[in-house]
Amino acid sequence: MNCLEFRRRVGAEPSVSGDEIEAHRRECAACARHQDELRAMDTLIGRALAVDAARIRKSGAAVSPARITPRRPRWLALAASIVIGLSVGLALWISSPRPSLAREVIDHVAHEPAAMTATVPIASEALAGVLDPAGTRLRPGIGDVTYARRCIFEWRVVPHLVVRTPQGPVTVLLLRHRSVSGPVRLAEQGYVGVVLPAPRGSIAIVGRDLKDLDGIAQQVFEAVDWGN
Amino acid sequence: MNRDDRGTDSRRRFATLCETLRPDLLRFAFWLGRDRQLAEDVVQEALLRAWKSFDALAEEGKAKSWLLTIVRREFARSFERKRLEVADLDALVAAEADVLAAEDDAGLAEMREALFRLSDEYREPLVLQVMMGYTTQEIADQMGLQQGAVLTRLFRARARLRQELGIAAEPSS
Repeated sequence: MNCLEFRRRVGAEPSVSGDEIEAHRRECAACARHQDELRAMDTLIGRALAVDAARIRKSGAAVSPARITPRRPRWLALAASIVIGLSVGLALWISSPRPSLAREVIDHVAHEPAAMTATVPIASEALAGVLDPAGTRLRPGIGDVTYARRCIFEWRVVPHLVVRTPQGPVTVLLLRHRSVSGPVRLAEQGYVGVVLPAPRGSIAIVGRDLKDLDGIAQQVFEAVDWGN
Repeated sequence: MNRDDRGTDSRRRFATLCETLRPDLLRFAFWLGRDRQLAEDVVQEALLRAWKSFDALAEEGKAKSWLLTIVRREFARSFERKRLEVADLDALVAAEADVLAAEDDAGLAEMREALFRLSDEYREPLVLQVMMGYTTQEIADQMGLQQGAVLTRLFRARARLRQELGIAAEPSS
């Protein structure tokens, strides 16, 4: 199986597995990452599809079978409890901080190396297209933004920017969904960075060979307008 | 068990099924038709039809699939009857804004809108796969398509969603 076949297959069915799939994942880190992203996107799609059924229902609508006296069997109550329990567990798992944040951030940055080498400033409209949906803006003066995309990170769509600073390119991830109680230091695979608590969630700032990480992080942090 | 008892037992079992599965049926119908009124009507009609042929359901473990098939057929009938045409997607989104809303999660609301804007041929198999957990072969059976055609539609559905949401096409290698 080559990369094209793999991507066609997982693009249609991200949860697919099997010997060929696993073998290719071991051979190609980029394809493995791609499948992981698609799986994360499917989680987001699943959450999006699960709209509140009560909002769909018309008020006072009555379907004939509802007139049949329902008597909920005990097994159903038990099954419902299990489902609710699993849902609560999943919700807590999704919303709670996980110890792998540093790894997730570094992995994400490491799998988009081209982002760090871009040198052409992004047009302001394109930048707005990435930041507006997140309700954020960048104040002027931070430096040229040379990369701006929306990425899947921890089952959410997040803005991913690269800013040219005097110390070199710096990756910025705006993680509105992820709260941290204090700065989280990152140092892996040659990258250094920090995740800082922000008015909305957190912000990850990552670079290579940064002499003054805290100074850069402070500048970037202050340049982000998180909106209301 | 006499005839009355059997009838009562059937009604109770059917009512239980309705109670358990109705939220999923409503969601399915909603994502099929993108119209809550239509979804409610379709599910109501589908459940009435299902009740009339409830005795034909051999295994209650297959009730969900059976009911989804009825909902889908009822939707097709209803769609034909009402000759609904989607002329303005923006208006459609606005009309269902409160169903699509996701408080405190703009990304989720945005994904819902992107799903809403997917054409029927891409949205339906995606709903069956992600929301209902169907295999691609089961989707092919439901939709009367070859499995290969389903795989193509699912691939394109995700590609369009990424495009609509402005998500990077794929990680750089």
